Amino acid sequence: MQPTRQQLEDALKSLRDPRLRYADVRYTRTSQQHLRVRNGEVDHLSESVEEAIGIRVLVGDGWGFAASSDPSEASLRRTAARALEVAAASNIAATRAVQLSDLEPCVASWASKYVIDPWSIPIAKKIDYLRAATEPMRSDARIHQAAGDLSVFRQEKAFASTIGSYIEQTTTQMGAGIEAVAIAGDEFQRRSHPNSFGGDFQAAGWEFVEALDLPARAATCRDEAIALLDAPKAPAGRFDLIVGSSQLALQVHESCGHPTELDRAMGLEISLAGGSFLQPGMLGSFRYGSDLVNIVADATIDGAIGSFAYDDDGVAAQRFHLVENGMFTGYLTGRDTAPEIGRASNGTVRAETAARIPIIRMTNINLEPGTTKLDDLIADTKHGILVETNKSWSIDDLRLNFQFGCEAAWEIENGRIGRLLRNPLYTGITPEFWRSCDAITDQNSWHLWGLPNCGKGDPMQTMRVAHGAPYARFRDVEMG
Amino acid sequence: MKSRDESLDVLRRALKVAGGDEADASFISVDQNITRFANSNVHQNMSEESAWLTLRIVADGAVGVASSSSFDDASLARTAELAREAARHAGTTQGFAGLYRGGDGQPALATWDEATAQLAPAAKAEALRDMFASGRAAGVDFAGVYSTGRTAAACANSHGIERYATATHSDATAIAIGPRGSGYATARSRRASDVSIAALGERAISRATLLADVHEELAPGTYDLIIEPAAIAEVFEWLGMIAFTGQSYEDGSSFLVGANGRKLFGENVTIADDATDESFLPFPFDLEGVAKRRVPIIERGVAHAPVVDKMYADRLNLPLTGNCWQLGSSEHGSAFHLSMDAGDSSLEEMIASTKLGIWVTRFNYVNGLLEPRTALMTGTTRDGTFLVRDGRVAARLPNLRWTQSMTEAFANVESLSRDRQIIGTWYNPFGGTIAPTIKVRDWHITGKQATGSPGPS
Repeated sequence: MQPTRQQLEDALKSLRDPRLRYADVRYTRTSQQHLRVRNGEVDHLSESVEEAIGIRVLVGDGWGFAASSDPSEASLRRTAARALEVAAASNIAATRAVQLSDLEPCVASWASKYVIDPWSIPIAKKIDYLRAATEPMRSDARIHQAAGDLSVFRQEKAFASTIGSYIEQTTTQMGAGIEAVAIAGDEFQRRSHPNSFGGDFQAAGWEFVEALDLPARAATCRDEAIALLDAPKAPAGRFDLIVGSSQLALQVHESCGHPTELDRAMGLEISLAGGSFLQPGMLGSFRYGSDLVNIVADATIDGAIGSFAYDDDGVAAQRFHLVENGMFTGYLTGRDTAPEIGRASNGTVRAETAARIPIIRMTNINLEPGTTKLDDLIADTKHGILVETNKSWSIDDLRLNFQFGCEAAWEIENGRIGRLLRNPLYTGITPEFWRSCDAITDQNSWHLWGLPNCGKGDPMQTMRVAHGAPYARFRDVEMG
Repeated sequence: MKSRDESLDVLRRALKVAGGDEADASFISVDQNITRFANSNVHQNMSEESAWLTLRIVADGAVGVASSSSFDDASLARTAELAREAARHAGTTQGFAGLYRGGDGQPALATWDEATAQLAPAAKAEALRDMFASGRAAGVDFAGVYSTGRTAAACANSHGIERYATATHSDATAIAIGPRGSGYATARSRRASDVSIAALGERAISRATLLADVHEELAPGTYDLIIEPAAIAEVFEWLGMIAFTGQSYEDGSSFLVGANGRKLFGENVTIADDATDESFLPFPFDLEGVAKRRVPIIERGVAHAPVVDKMYADRLNLPLTGNCWQLGSSEHGSAFHLSMDAGDSSLEEMIASTKLGIWVTRFNYVNGLLEPRTALMTGTTRDGTFLVRDGRVAARLPNLRWTQSMTEAFANVESLSRDRQIIGTWYNPFGGTIAPTIKVRDWHITGKQATGSPGPS
């Protein structure tokens, strides 16, 4: 049961340490439902409800954090005491001063929007939908697996802090997708819609799933998976590369979103996730991409799964540039990192649940649309490759050397789409790649993709983020 | 962490309200302390006490799963209703003969260390403070994590199975970062006394400062690779997902499909799931209550079956291996205790026998989804990549990208070390990987981190 505001504030008042500088307390109730239909069977059907409390204290220059899955009043007080004990330990080995950027208190309440509550839809209807979306894929013996996923996520959160803020927020999200796997001999090919790894996700209700109209896309998934079995292997060499919207969204995630996290740039995540090639001294002077490249962090977009009203520091959601006209101009920051670059927090600190420490996370990191129509981009490409839908991803610890594999590719010859190609791989160095971008398509081919599985932190925290991306062309990219 | 009585009480009450034809449940409670440090400073420090229940109900051959972190009677009734609702609509699972009915005794294993269970945050911070000081003297900063914790895992089912076990763990990683290079060291054990922060710091410093002023580059191509256990663990994590699960065996993506009894690799390659080895990270049962045993997956190069849960043991007509670590998981079997057999060599002997090769400490961001039937993977090296020339360590190398089929690589293992090391994994609270250092012929290096990049290598 959710603690009352008074109980949360009483937990903060119970913190007695003369060196206490700041504290906050959070409660989360996270409800999830996941369904997977595979080859006509319900392969997985689960519901979970998890509650958590977390108390974070700054004592001297030592942070302490304690969490519990028990949200009772007695547990709140015990957890507060443990947070102080942990902070005292931090002070034993703390060697750096902690500064917090200024923040005004606020009292607020926010909820994401939806039309049809996902939990109002009976499970039977959801299963029927997935069966209707996967059955057409099973009509060919070469299809070894026809699967559909549907997931529902809701998180209710309460936050109180010693500066006097009290914020309640609720987000409701849905996601769905289908995939066909074709096998012949040692050849294994997968085709997904609308995206791989569970499909697409929005802060929305059942209306989002209906709009995806997955049953109408099943036959195309099946046919492309089968066609890939006999398609020629994508060539190795250097090509002009057109990257499709969902793959470009992941490219933005890995090669711009992560390296603009200020905690990474400061080395705070280097032991596990790595650092960043984008160092603070490069702000405003480093050419990240061509003039066409504008990348914006925007936590205020209705319907995006990386949106919220206030982050877990209690800072209001914001929109700002990370890359403007190709120049590196901004980081994602929090209250205890922004002062390192002389700025105020831009509100990107979040935790997976109240049982985890809030850290800098992507919000909705979007490549802004350009002015080129997609048809014109293809018509303008003499000899190139178009890649669609992510299959694999890997990038080094500074976010420089990347390699992506995609589900499918097509030749482009003399401005026309040609043969289907299997197993395309492309690789590059982040700033060289983005500087080679010479065309970005317009709003008509721009889509906001939800990625519910961004991993960071230790213990690992899975965060829900989104990326808007159109299609874009990159010159002279290494493939194979 | 909950006691046996507390844990079994929750499980019995959950099963009492479950209904259905059969039901089973798992109950995990964890107390853990995790200290993260960077720039030789503790910047995140946490203590967590959490518990959660997962209830699975089988009705007319259909399965529904629900979980909760609340255990009062009303919450358990709600959880049971959710699981029943799921089962009502799920439809019959083909080939599933029902939940585990027992018959095997669980092995007696040393999983608990009282000193580890009682280790206070302050004692850990003092060890880190001393390591930071040694780093300052050596001209390096430290980053990493130091975790300790205690876990109680219990499971029960409507056929009378009841299991309960406790385990402790201590896990630390230290990266020493100097102006011209970085070095990595890691350790994991059931006993904190096996994880010496001072020793890890010394090892990381030695790697960070080795040939710090001697840097060379290497063109893409095929090279002999000497791979330390931390890097092997990254590959094994992916093999665990794409090749060793019941799901990957059924869907045809695993290279084990059609290979049972066939020799895939050299005689010197043996890989097993082994939670019974007390020198590793022992645990006596899985969360269906099946007693753990050593399960060979590759034995002297010969392929065996994957690991499975009860449902996929029935469905695929495979031996029950006891590898359910989450009730209702779509993986239908996870190898959480991957163990590679040792050989008769050493790191020093591998270096001495190498004309031109690369010695790798650790991989980064491996991805195994490129072509699963050949386990084609890509990744980069980090925190200590060294050129080996004419039997000597000759220079530091930049971080390198590789793209390599693991079925090819494990057929090209030239030698394995006598010593093995335990490596922890973030998603796996019960186990990890234990592996020797290995030398592999003809590994495909396909690129490098950009020249002049700002970080250590």
